[in-house]
Amino acid sequence: MTALKKPRSIIQPVSFCAGCGHAIIQRLIAECIEELGLQDQIIACCDIACSEWSLDALDYDFIAGPHGRIAAVATGIKKVRPDKIVYAHAGDGSSYVIGLTETCYAAIRDVPITMIVVNNACLGMTGGQMNLATTLLGDKTSSSPYGRSKDSTGHPVDMLKLIQNLDVQFAARGALFDPRHIEETKRYIKKGFENQVSKKGFSVIEVLSPCPTNWNLSPVDAMKKIREENTKVFPLGIYVDREERGTGCG
Amino acid sequence: MAKSNANTELCKGCRLCIQVCPKQAIIPLEDLNKAGYKIIAINTAACIGCGMCYRMCPDYVFSIEQETKSYG
Repeated sequence: MTALKKPRSIIQPVSFCAGCGHAIIQRLIAECIEELGLQDQIIACCDIACSEWSLDALDYDFIAGPHGRIAAVATGIKKVRPDKIVYAHAGDGSSYVIGLTETCYAAIRDVPITMIVVNNACLGMTGGQMNLATTLLGDKTSSSPYGRSKDSTGHPVDMLKLIQNLDVQFAARGALFDPRHIEETKRYIKKGFENQVSKKGFSVIEVLSPCPTNWNLSPVDAMKKIREENTKVFPLGIYVDREERGTGCG
Repeated sequence: MAKSNANTELCKGCRLCIQVCPKQAIIPLEDLNKAGYKIIAINTAACIGCGMCYRMCPDYVFSIEQETKSYG
């Protein structure tokens, strides 16, 4: 008897780097979908970037949209196929920088899709350049070799605080630095899918995820950095839950 | 009792499992798998099958299986 096993929807070995959080998120998505019995109704959207590696690994119908426009692509799919369950798996560069407009307008329209944004504090696939929205002050990246400075590039932005002001169904931030927070993140993602099943509004789940390759840290030290540094700037918890009529960390 | 099983051919040597195991039952090895990554081994006697390694592993190396005991 198997108590815990990799979801059946994952049909290929992981293509991400060692210690990458994208793979954990991919497993959480597949587990939530299987637990809710939605495998046959899924249309998955992934953006151009590291999230695209799940395109072949997951046994769902997939669309990779133009870079940064994944919220708009998912909106379009949901409008023409409202019976399907549509989720978007995207990075922070595409959702918060290149495609900020698309993300905000999907939230403003309150389209009933589930959006999972992976906040790894850099532009991962292109070589770890600084991300204007999520790289912490002082962090060294390939495009900020002396550390990000407030004078030249400004502060990182807590985008969930921005989305919190819009009329959305659910917004929450999880992290992957220990099993407890991974399970909490899974609850948020599951809630996002449940909202869509019951035809409620826009759900966005941001996940603080490590990028050991581009942070030049070991996977263990990258997790430690998230716990000790990134969570201070990007507090975890539920920001909006329209059902509860409560706002958390705001 | 449930025990963890590891398919170390999938392992990428990130060592995340070692620090989350509450029983220190995962042993880092210097041996390499076919892909060239350092692997781990599970001390089955110490494993309690809690599933922390399964939850943490980004490469789906672990599965938790219920041990079936045969009596007589």
